[in-house]
Amino acid sequence: MRECHVFRKDDEKEDGMLDCLDRGRVRLVGLGLVVATALVLVAGAIAGPRAAACGDVVLNENSWVGSTANVYVLKNVLESKLKCKVKVLNITEGQPSFQAMADGKIDVVLEDWQNLPGTPYEKSKSVVSLGGNGITGVIGWYIPRYLLQQYPAFKTWQGLKGKESVFKSPESGSQGMFLGGDPSYVQKDRALIKGLGLNLKHVVAGAEPAQVARWTQLYKQKKPVLFYWYDPQYLNAQYQVVQVQLPKRSASCKDDEKKGGDAKQYACSYPSYRLDKLVSKEFLASGSPALKLIRNFKWTSKDQNFVANLISGKKQSKDKAAAAWVKANGKTVNAWMK
Amino acid sequence: MSVATETAVVTPVLSHRPWWQGKPVRVALIVAGMFLAYRALRLEYPWPSGLAWSNLPFELDRFQTWLIERRSAEDKSVVFAVFDGFRLLVDDVVRWLEELLLWLTWVGTTAAGTLVVWRFGGARAAAITLVAFAAFALAGLWAESIQTLALMITAVTLSLAVGIPLGIATGRSRRVARIVTPILDAAQIVPAFAYLMPVVILFSVGPAAAVVATMVYAIPPSVRITALGIRGVPLNTAEAAASLGATRMQMLAKVQLPLARRMLLLGVNQTILFALSMVVIAGLIGGGGLGAVVNSGLSSTPALALLAGVVIVVMAIALDRATEAIAERTDPAQRHLDPARLRRLRIQTALVAVGIAATVVVGKLLEVGSTYPAAAGVRQRAVTAQEWLLARIQSVLDYVQDPTSWVFSLTEPTGIFILQKLLLPLQQFLVEGPWLTTLLGLTLVAFVVSGLRPAVTTFVMLGAIGLTGVWALAMDTLSQVLVATLIAVVIGVALGVAAAESRLISKALRPVNDVLQTLPQLVYIIPFIYLMPVSIVPGIVAGVLYAFPVVVRLVERGIHDVAPQAVEAAGAFGATRRQTLTKVKIPLAGDAIMLGVNQGIIMVLAVVVIGGLVGSGGLGYEVAQGLVRGYFGQGVIASFAILALGVTLDRVTQGTRKGRKEGLE
Repeated sequence: MRECHVFRKDDEKEDGMLDCLDRGRVRLVGLGLVVATALVLVAGAIAGPRAAACGDVVLNENSWVGSTANVYVLKNVLESKLKCKVKVLNITEGQPSFQAMADGKIDVVLEDWQNLPGTPYEKSKSVVSLGGNGITGVIGWYIPRYLLQQYPAFKTWQGLKGKESVFKSPESGSQGMFLGGDPSYVQKDRALIKGLGLNLKHVVAGAEPAQVARWTQLYKQKKPVLFYWYDPQYLNAQYQVVQVQLPKRSASCKDDEKKGGDAKQYACSYPSYRLDKLVSKEFLASGSPALKLIRNFKWTSKDQNFVANLISGKKQSKDKAAAAWVKANGKTVNAWMK
Repeated sequence: MSVATETAVVTPVLSHRPWWQGKPVRVALIVAGMFLAYRALRLEYPWPSGLAWSNLPFELDRFQTWLIERRSAEDKSVVFAVFDGFRLLVDDVVRWLEELLLWLTWVGTTAAGTLVVWRFGGARAAAITLVAFAAFALAGLWAESIQTLALMITAVTLSLAVGIPLGIATGRSRRVARIVTPILDAAQIVPAFAYLMPVVILFSVGPAAAVVATMVYAIPPSVRITALGIRGVPLNTAEAAASLGATRMQMLAKVQLPLARRMLLLGVNQTILFALSMVVIAGLIGGGGLGAVVNSGLSSTPALALLAGVVIVVMAIALDRATEAIAERTDPAQRHLDPARLRRLRIQTALVAVGIAATVVVGKLLEVGSTYPAAAGVRQRAVTAQEWLLARIQSVLDYVQDPTSWVFSLTEPTGIFILQKLLLPLQQFLVEGPWLTTLLGLTLVAFVVSGLRPAVTTFVMLGAIGLTGVWALAMDTLSQVLVATLIAVVIGVALGVAAAESRLISKALRPVNDVLQTLPQLVYIIPFIYLMPVSIVPGIVAGVLYAFPVVVRLVERGIHDVAPQAVEAAGAFGATRRQTLTKVKIPLAGDAIMLGVNQGIIMVLAVVVIGGLVGSGGLGYEVAQGLVRGYFGQGVIASFAILALGVTLDRVTQGTRKGRKEGLE
């Protein structure tokens, strides 16, 4: 601090002193920063060593509860049986999660509704399908069961014809309302409505929680509602809903609404989906013992709905719900281990 | 938590034109013309398909495929290598920071945060900080909160590292300002949701991607406020320094920066708050922490999502109050340091350092866990209020979901009224009217309201929207924005006037504003989906709730800033309080109110897009769907249309302000 005094006149001495102290403080702060950086580096180094033989496995949890059930049951088994270190990420379905897999950030996705086929990630083999998880996904048009008492014809789409106004809502005017699905889900309902010549207005409810809020509200009031829905879904255990039969699928049946063309070609029911297990290229090559388990992982929509209902319906913690199922289903779990 | 704004204090003169020559009448005439065309030719002239580039989405999809291939190729080009390098660096920094905070143990981290804030910001701010840490622990979300904190510290530091130098350059050079301003406008108008896809392609997912997405949103306020501070340095001071022979560097370091200190710190404060409002969006692309809890909780456990949302708010309020207090306490102009005080401060600093170190050591000795409750996975063992809180929140949600409740009997008809009497008619009018009259009509309205340049912008932007094939969707979104802005402005002006007239109301409104601005929108949309079960309305309500606080604040400030002479003069003429308000204060605060409209409309636009997730349809839905279903082209085009709409609305509403100002000078 010697140089501090050099240029100061006497009458400014006090100010000079202060200035000196200020500079001293600046140095102190600088020193502090260096120490902090060093600390950060050391902390990083300490945290380096990784866990046991199985190593890290990163599972991706998607926005629907069924996916949460898959992920936490597998997490439980991987952690308790194979001593893996499991990390759960929540990356949006589809492209973001595939990119994450390509970059080695996610190892496993346990329920892909056939989003992968046709993407660049499939072509470059950076994301690889290990086949189905045992569950078949069903998408369709659903109504509450109580409606069938009054309108038995609603079992099939022909029965809806002429009666569309039953599903009237504030936003659909004189037409009936068709409540569309979450924007991220596979759907072709606009084309279906047009192709079938129904007087319905496709109303977007938004993300799944919003759509569920809407139709369960109507359900509780025992009002009519026609909506996009799917199975496996734990709410199907809580609410009595039935599918409206759409025309059978034919060879010329189209499903991707964005491809355009004649609406008539879309006028057929949705295909059923094999729900695929996906792994990243890196994880596939790693030879992790977890890989075998994931290859063998298979369960039913009943199993999944059971766990999902514990989590979402009964408000149990995800880990607890998964542990309960694993405990009760030792046989199935052991089969995965072979 | 105010939005960065430049209020021009001008002394307006009230014009005395006959009412039939006023702007409202001319706008009404144009709209009437459009309405006649709509009635006569409804649905007959949608935007012609020949005038839309229908292949564009596919071209863009091809571009995306190319990008992904280049990105994952073995021999990466330099560009991608740079992105990758940045990504790895930021990922590591966030991880280190998080591990450091965990290594300190939960008592250590709490002590460090509280004591540092105490030393620089005083006891009150320290108490708030302590409460925030307690909230993280009691909510049972300690680890998640620390993760979010680490992410935010990194994002804010990087935003300031870019924003402050850029702000200085912008403040010192008009040329730089001309280049930078439109980019900032774009960054603030394009909803974060829209640039997630490119961010994911370039930076993958994870902390780095989350930090980048946050930076795009948080840099503009720091640049703007810094530039404003530099420009706000009194001219005579700068001239005095120049005449004493100061170099440009000296001028900056000794004159401009010290004098702009308050604004710089306000910039830091705003950057933090803007960054925090991105936590949930960042959670969609691997930001983790509280954002991920909100996202994954929304469909499985909404109560937990709400709780995490509240924790985000607590964090935001604590950071806001702490930075505000630090800015005030460390202001050299107010400190009057004498040696005795200085010594005391140094002792305090030493005490703080010793205190933190001691807490960490004691924590380590007692084997206090890195998080509170100890190890992850056994959350239930330690004492947290999580279950109790979740049960409380759940009971509120249950009440809200009950279609026979008393509240529901009020909210449902309100929702239906907004939908049927405001939204649907406007939507049909804009979407189904003949495209040419709508396009020209809106351009003319822009011309009447704010002049030639905004009108040209309107025409070009709306034309571009039509050419990219999303005319109907954009008109749908426009109708929602207009309705939500109308409601937000009505509420905002009413409350703003009330707050300006009564200190009590003003005080009561502040926490409300803070909560509404930082609570993730998706979180407070959820109750409204139950309460107003009509698809578009919850999105509108969310937009209104997000935007009206800003209108309130600007109106309040505008009325406060009305020249006291004018008010006194009115009083001297015997005007009642009410007359003073309606005849003097409100007209004189016109600029501030218009600024409120301008800011409000942009904020509404941002939320209406998020509303796509709760059934608002329009462009927001397209972006959301594009993001998750991998329709890159669709997502990009819709994002672009949102930007075009935003620029138009911004220019038209800003134009009125400028027009008045220029007209008066």
